[in-house]
Amino acid sequence: MLVVLRDGRKLHGVLRSYDQFANLVLEDTVERIYSGNAFAEKWCGLFLIRGENVVLLGEVDLDQEDDIPLRQVDYHLLDPYHRQEIATKKVNDEAKAKILYEQKGFCKEGGEGDGY
Amino acid sequence: LPLSLLNAAQNKPMLVELKNGETFNGHLVNCDNFMNITLREVYQTNAEGDRFWKVKECYIRGSTIKYLRVPDTLLDAVKEEQTRAREAGKSARGSHISGRGGARGGPIRGGARGRGRGM
Repeated sequence: MLVVLRDGRKLHGVLRSYDQFANLVLEDTVERIYSGNAFAEKWCGLFLIRGENVVLLGEVDLDQEDDIPLRQVDYHLLDPYHRQEIATKKVNDEAKAKILYEQKGFCKEGGEGDGY
Repeated sequence: LPLSLLNAAQNKPMLVELKNGETFNGHLVNCDNFMNITLREVYQTNAEGDRFWKVKECYIRGSTIKYLRVPDTLLDAVKEEQTRAREAGKSARGSHISGRGGARGGPIRGGARGRGRGM
């Protein structure tokens, strides 16, 4: 399964169990980050994720996993680029939200802005 | 199930990340159905990872938790405990059920049917 969290993290793991709150137990979890035409993975082990932090989850087609068009690199190499992208995105989103609020009357997010 | 995994993880070391990004590394003392937890011998780190605190005991409200990272060995240990507990429960109940099974069957079935029609 791929689980996307509200802070933008993408976790790949085996879904072991869930409950009525959608709390999840994910086994052999790997955190994957993407940047440009490359991706990187970091092994994280066993996770218990609180349901309210999950945006979505979906089943991964393991056959398609073998044909990923991106090249895999070391996590610590890609991490700075990834963080940069997140920072840029954050700036853009804040600018967007500001414009929408001031010019169009949209409401602001309650301070708990989501990273995805 | 997730919460039963947490309950079975008492006294085990774990990492808790809060919604604000702070991390708490410590041993689980106790937990409840709301995921409120108490930890012992805790190393607290802020979201940026540049400040550290050592805290003897702390209480974390479940609603602030993003996730908990748990040692991988825990899953196997917990599964073993659960199967052992289930088998112990079954053998204890099996001896009682034989007489009462029929009596229980009737009212339960009727109740389920009634609810079904209501929906």
